[in-house]
Amino acid sequence: MDLSYTAEEEQFRTELRDWLAGSIPPEWAEPGFWRSLDDDESFRLRREWEASKTAAGFSGIQWPTEYGGRGGTPGMKAIYDEETVRAHAPQTVNVLGLTFLAPTVMAIGTPEQKSEIIGPMLRNEVIWCQGFSEPGAGSDLAAVATRGVRDGDDFVVNGQKIWTTNAMHGDKIFTLVRTEPGSERHKGLSMMLIDMDQPGVEARPLKQMSGASEFGEVFFTDARVPVKDCLGEIGQGWRTAMLLLSFERGASGVGQYTEFRRQYDEIVEQMRRFGRSDDPVARQKMANCLVELECLRYHAMHILTQVEQGRDLGSESSMTKLQWSETFQDLWEAFDDVLGPEASLERPRPDVDLTPYQAQAMWSRSVTIWGGSSQVQRNIVAERVLGLPR
Amino acid sequence: MFFALTSDQQAFAATVREFVADRFDLDAVRAVVEDPDGDGHPLTLWKGLADQGALAVLVPEEHDGLGLGLLDAQVVARELGAAVAPGPWTTTVLAAEALRLAGSPAQQAAWLPALAAGETVGTVALRGEAGSWDGRSGRGITVDASGERLSGTASPVDYPGVAGLFVVAATDAEGAPGLYLVEAGAQGLSVRDQRTYDGTARVGAVELADTPGELLSGGTLSGGEAVGAVTARGAVLTAADLVGVAREALTRTVDYDRDRKQFGVPVGSFQAIKHTMADLHVGVTMAEHAVLFAAHALDSGETGDPATDIAVAVAKAKASDAAWAATGAMIQFFGGIGFTWEHEAHFFYKRARRRAPLFGSADEHRERLAALTID
Ligand SMILES: Cc1cc2nc3c(=O)[nH]c(=O)nc-3n(C[C@H](O)[C@H](O)[C@H](O)COP(=O)(O)OP(=O)(O)OC[C@H]3O[C@@H](n4cnc5c(N)ncnc54)[C@H](O)[C@@H]3O)c2cc1C
Repeated sequence: MDLSYTAEEEQFRTELRDWLAGSIPPEWAEPGFWRSLDDDESFRLRREWEASKTAAGFSGIQWPTEYGGRGGTPGMKAIYDEETVRAHAPQTVNVLGLTFLAPTVMAIGTPEQKSEIIGPMLRNEVIWCQGFSEPGAGSDLAAVATRGVRDGDDFVVNGQKIWTTNAMHGDKIFTLVRTEPGSERHKGLSMMLIDMDQPGVEARPLKQMSGASEFGEVFFTDARVPVKDCLGEIGQGWRTAMLLLSFERGASGVGQYTEFRRQYDEIVEQMRRFGRSDDPVARQKMANCLVELECLRYHAMHILTQVEQGRDLGSESSMTKLQWSETFQDLWEAFDDVLGPEASLERPRPDVDLTPYQAQAMWSRSVTIWGGSSQVQRNIVAERVLGLPR
Repeated sequence: MFFALTSDQQAFAATVREFVADRFDLDAVRAVVEDPDGDGHPLTLWKGLADQGALAVLVPEEHDGLGLGLLDAQVVARELGAAVAPGPWTTTVLAAEALRLAGSPAQQAAWLPALAAGETVGTVALRGEAGSWDGRSGRGITVDASGERLSGTASPVDYPGVAGLFVVAATDAEGAPGLYLVEAGAQGLSVRDQRTYDGTARVGAVELADTPGELLSGGTLSGGEAVGAVTARGAVLTAADLVGVAREALTRTVDYDRDRKQFGVPVGSFQAIKHTMADLHVGVTMAEHAVLFAAHALDSGETGDPATDIAVAVAKAKASDAAWAATGAMIQFFGGIGFTWEHEAHFFYKRARRRAPLFGSADEHRERLAALTID
């Protein structure tokens, strides 16, 4: 066991910390800050801040320098995730592009795609959406029905995507499209990089249960997509999609732990404020959340070790997803359990605003659905890790 | 970052596993379970473990030990748990730990070589009857004004019947806690057999009446710190045993349900079973991580560091819950056969259930976590 980072990695931590300290206004740390802005304003502020972070050399930590990345180690990425949470840095506005599309393009993109996509994404000049889910194709992604028909150098695309994160802010959308008429399931699909700024593409917001509209619907009506904007081979879209989704693996447990652990402390603070910190049942509930949170941290160190050793995480990432999402959800259910009726009131006292916590509590219902629902993850663990029959 | 066992540690685990599988299979376990009047201390297993160095792991080299850490020791605990192996391994290792941490050089020289070689069985008596493990509600044993005579009762104590050396937590005339050595056969020492449903262990109450005891002193730790350190090590080694039990129970259940057919299909193809197994796999894996982390924390951390206390409490709480859940599921998902005496499921279940509260239950450790993070 050696739970330390290298001297070079610690040096990186110091530089990053210094930069974050100078670039994040103190009010961003206030729980209600981001909610006090309207959606567009919040997006704009985050987009600009993130672009400045890229300019300072703190984006694409593990990406090769030829793509504008920092060429750092997995340990630096973990440190980055931890420090940005610590500093109350906002979440990235280009999460789907940065997490999924960029590494896929680096792996299988054409030279033009590599040079045209990655730089602008890193500088937030282009915001990417993920167009996978459809009304009839959620967990069962192979049921996608959006179709693309070849017309000269273009595909003409018709269909609908749904629950598309950042639909209203997106510039482009990587989209799974059925390009072989009559094909079924995993066959005959292609991955297309579609410009959303064209007459054939319309995005409409969907209001979420939390009240926010972070996702929406995207309708394609004779949208035109140049054939050169397919990623991976035409007809091999499933393979591209699977490669793309594999980059979720190793997603930062270190950063998640740091964030959730802070939330734990925030809930504890409310417990004290409302005189609930001596209640033995509430204490057990919170302590059990802490047990699971600490396990998430150890698991993150285990995963980081695997990554550093060059091992393929494979289906183990399903376990990671289950641990973090279920723990996060339990933590925010504990919030209500330990506070009692006060938990549901926006201002139980004139000086106490619980709305930022309630927003987290509502958001926590989504994390066991997107990115592969908990049920789908359990199927994967049971079948591919434990070898139980289908 | 290296959060894993080294190849040496993995090789050590494999050696212990192969040895136990070869010399002490479930039939041998059954023989011990079905002989409750026996001492539960099969010498073939004991000698073999001693030969493997399994008793010497934590003993310093100058006392004929291997001078390794808890991370190495938990490897053995896990394998013994997985094999539901009987015997006083944990207690002997803990008695040696008490000497290593709190004993004087002379006390260490007198006992450690024999404990490391398996010539003397050790045990620890840390808790008063119906008391708490952290000593808050008083210890069962007190020391008289001379500081050399102990009286009272400790329970439950593992393997008191075969122990040659007892490490006893007691409170002195000023109310200060400390660890004392009591030798088997000492005047006024008696052992009351308590019988437990867990046939893979032997348990009793240790009763002392004006019994001569020697304070462990002159080591790195003393007093309450020494008691706490031994209790923490007991918690982590028990947690390691429990994750061994849990992992093996889960593996056996998955193997069975892959083959067992009902309604024309393997029952393991039913989602109700799959999802339970998946959750158990996640839980047991997390418990395994937690044990590694806690063992490492104790090996490297400062005594009294809250971060170490958190790590120990997390490991014991998680392992206790995971083992109880996995072994309960073993009975459930074997169905009727899992409820029979002939089947081995009850060895696992009973071992997990008995050990879950030792050195602090999941609830007690969660309360400790609450005290550390809420108060
Ligand atoms: C906040 C949020 C953001 C999202 N962002 C995006 C995005 O940017 N791009 C995008 O493409 N999609 C996005 N999604 C969609 C998301 O990927 C889907 O919601 C998800 O894949 C589940 O599909 P579904 O909603 O159709 O549910 P369904 O697949 O219909 O599932 C309904 C229920 O059945 C269960 N179920 C399904 N299959 C099985 C099975 N085999 N065994 C057992 N139970 C099963 C599910 O777990 C669920 O509980 C987002 C969703 C949310 C909530």
